[in-house]
Amino acid sequence: MYVFICEDTIDGIFTAVYNAWDSHLGHKNIYILAKEPENYELFCEYIRVETDLEKSKKVADTIKRRLGVTVYTTLCEAIMAEEPCPKKTSRMNAADTFSITKADAFYRTLLYAFSMENPTRIMECLGNPYVLYLFELSRNVHTEAHHLLGFLRFQELQNGILFAETHPKNYVLPILGDHFSDRLPGENFMIYDKNRKLALIHRAGIKNFLITDASSINQEMIHNYSASELEYQKLWCGFFESITIEARKNPKLQNQNIPKRFQKDAVEFQK
Amino acid sequence: MQIQENMSIMEKLQILSDAAKYDVACTSSGVDRKGDGKGMGNCIAPGICHTFSGDGRCVSLLKILFTNECIFNCSYCQNNCNNDIPRASFTPDEVCSLTMEFYRRNYIEGLFLSSGILVSPNYTMDLIYQTLYKLRVECHFNGYIHVKAIPGADPALIERAGFLADRMSINLELPTANSLKELAPCKSRRTILTPMRQIQNGIHDNTLLLGDTSYKGSQPLSTKTRSSQKFVPAGQSTQMIIGATPENDYQIMSVAEGLYQKFELKRVFYSAFVNVNEDASLPVLPGGPPLLREHRLYQADWLLRFYNFSVNELLSEDNPNFNIYLDPKCDWALRHLEYFPVEINRADYNTLLRVPGIGAKSARRIIQARRTTRLDFADLKKIGVVLKRALYFITCSGKMMYRTKLDENYICENLLRDKTQIPKEIRESGYKQISLFDVGMTEPPQPVSLAMIT
Repeated sequence: MYVFICEDTIDGIFTAVYNAWDSHLGHKNIYILAKEPENYELFCEYIRVETDLEKSKKVADTIKRRLGVTVYTTLCEAIMAEEPCPKKTSRMNAADTFSITKADAFYRTLLYAFSMENPTRIMECLGNPYVLYLFELSRNVHTEAHHLLGFLRFQELQNGILFAETHPKNYVLPILGDHFSDRLPGENFMIYDKNRKLALIHRAGIKNFLITDASSINQEMIHNYSASELEYQKLWCGFFESITIEARKNPKLQNQNIPKRFQKDAVEFQK
Repeated sequence: MQIQENMSIMEKLQILSDAAKYDVACTSSGVDRKGDGKGMGNCIAPGICHTFSGDGRCVSLLKILFTNECIFNCSYCQNNCNNDIPRASFTPDEVCSLTMEFYRRNYIEGLFLSSGILVSPNYTMDLIYQTLYKLRVECHFNGYIHVKAIPGADPALIERAGFLADRMSINLELPTANSLKELAPCKSRRTILTPMRQIQNGIHDNTLLLGDTSYKGSQPLSTKTRSSQKFVPAGQSTQMIIGATPENDYQIMSVAEGLYQKFELKRVFYSAFVNVNEDASLPVLPGGPPLLREHRLYQADWLLRFYNFSVNELLSEDNPNFNIYLDPKCDWALRHLEYFPVEINRADYNTLLRVPGIGAKSARRIIQARRTTRLDFADLKKIGVVLKRALYFITCSGKMMYRTKLDENYICENLLRDKTQIPKEIRESGYKQISLFDVGMTEPPQPVSLAMIT
C-alpha cells in the first residue's frame, strides 16, 4: 500500500489526488491521508505530498468540467469538514487503519464518478459508501455555515471595523466570507475563527476577502468598542426580551434551535 | 390611553416589538437577491434565522409596529383602542437607523413592519410607505422587507409600498366572515380580500412585464430604487388566529386551501390564540394557547403545499377535526391501507411522498439513489427516512422490515408508542392536554381502536 500524506486543505488534497493519479501505482494500492498517521504500518510506503497550486488548479478544473460546478462545491464543502475521530473498535486491523477518511473518500468518489456515464450525477449515488461519507460531511459543513450566517454577531470597534468572533467546528470561513462580503460591501470587517486562530478580513469597497493566520491577534483592540456599540447591543437585547410570548415560553425548544455552542458568541445570550 | 412625550428609543422598541409579537410570520424566505456592490444587504431564498426567542420561535426580522396607537377595536388584539396600555410611535428615521444598525451587526435579516391604524388606513399606509422609501432609497438598504398592507388603504399606496417590499401580508385574522364581524367590527372580508387580490394581480402583471423584453418604460407609480424593481417578489402571506372562535379544522384548512389556490399565497400562518385582553366575548383556554392544534394545522398545511394532498382527503364534514394523537399523514395512511405497502424500489415519487416517515427530500433521494443500486432498509435509514413510522407501509425488494400486520388497529397502536407523534417541544412545555394522554401511555399497551380517538 502506498499512502500519500498531504495537507488538510483543498489545495493539499487536490495535489495528492493529482500525484496519486500520476503515480501509476494502481488505484487499489493507493490510500490518501490528510493528516499524520497515528501508526505507521510495516508494509506501507509513505509518500509526502508537497502542495502545488498548479496541480491543484488542474484537478479543480477537471472536476468542474466533468462533474459540474454544483458537485465541485459539494466536494469542496466536504473537504472543509472537521472529521469526527474514527471510532476505535476492539479489534484493530489493517482495514481499520485504512478506514474511510475524507481525502481517500474524495479520491474514490472521483474514480467512481469518472467511470459513470453521467458523472454530474455522482452525488446522487448514496449507495456508494465513499459518496455517502462525503455527502454527510458536506451536509454538516453546509448546515453549520448556514447557522452561522444567522448566528454570527458583529461588534463595532472604535475604528469603525466590524469584528465577529466565532467557534465553528468546521472550516467555514470561506463560506462566511462569500456571504458577508456580498452583503456588507461597504464595511471593513473581520471574522475571527478562534478554534483555528484564523481571521477573515474584508476591506470596504473590495470584492474579495483574505483569510490569514491570527494567532497573535491584538486582544485589546478587539474589545475596544465604538461609542454607540453598547447602546445597540442593549437595544437588541431589549428587543430580544420583549419579542418572547410568555404564554408560549419554551426554553428547551430555544436551546434545540440555537444550540449552546452558538449561544456563547451571540450577544443576546450574554448575561 | 397613555401617550408619553420624549420616549427613549429603547422604550419605544420594547413597546412596539411587544405589540408586534403575536404576528407569527417571521420568515425571510422566498427571494434570492445578490448585493448590489454599493448599498447594504442581500437575500437568500431559504431565509436565515438569526436567533430564537424564549418561546423557541425563529427571529429573523426586526418585527415591530410603526405605531400601536390604533383606532380599531378588534377584541383579540392588545392594541385595541379601548385598552389602557402605553402607546408609542416611531418616526421613519428611527425605524431606518434601527434596521441599518441591527443589520450591520448581523442581528437581523431585515425589517418586518406592521402597524396599528393611526388616524386612518391611508394615513398609516402612507407613513409605512415613507419609511420604506427612506430605507430603500436614502439608506440603500437591500435586505429583506416584509410589510403589512393596511386593510382599507388606497390601492395606489399599497402598490407603491409593494415595489419597495419583498413580501406583503394582510392578515385574514379569522376564518369566517361572521367571526370577523363579531371580534373585529372595523374590518371586513371585503377590506381584507380586496388588497389581497390587488397584490396577487400586481405580482402577476410584474411577471408579465418582466417577461416582455420590449418593455422599457417606467412602471406606473413605481419609484426608481433598484435596478430590477419587482412587485412583492417573495409573494404574500396571511395569518389566522386559531381557537378564538368556534371554527373547526375542516373550515380552517378549506379557507387555507382556497387562499393557496385562488389567491396564490406563499404561506398561511396559524397563530394559537393567546387571550391578552381577558375579553368576555373570547374563550378562556385553561390549557394555555392551543399549541398542539396549531402544530397539526401546520403539518396539514405542509401536506397541502408539498405533498399534493387536498383538504377533502384529510378531513370531511363528518370528521372535521384533526386527530390530536396522530399526525395528519399517519392518520390518512391508516384510513387508506388499500394503498400500502409501497415498494421502495418501484413506486413513483407521488406514491412515496404519501408514505408516513418519507419526506420530500428523502423521496427525491430514493428516486435518485435507486437508479444505481437496489435500496434496502439500511440505505433508507441513511437517506433520512424515519423507519419507525415508515416500516408498516413499505417493502424493499418485496420484503417488509419486520413481520407486521397491515391492520389499522395494530399499526395505530404501534405508531402511538412513538413519542414523536406529539412534538417534543409541546410535550415538554407542560401542555395540559398532553399530560392526560401521557398517563395513558405509561400503562401497558392496550388495543386502541381508531373510532375511539377520532
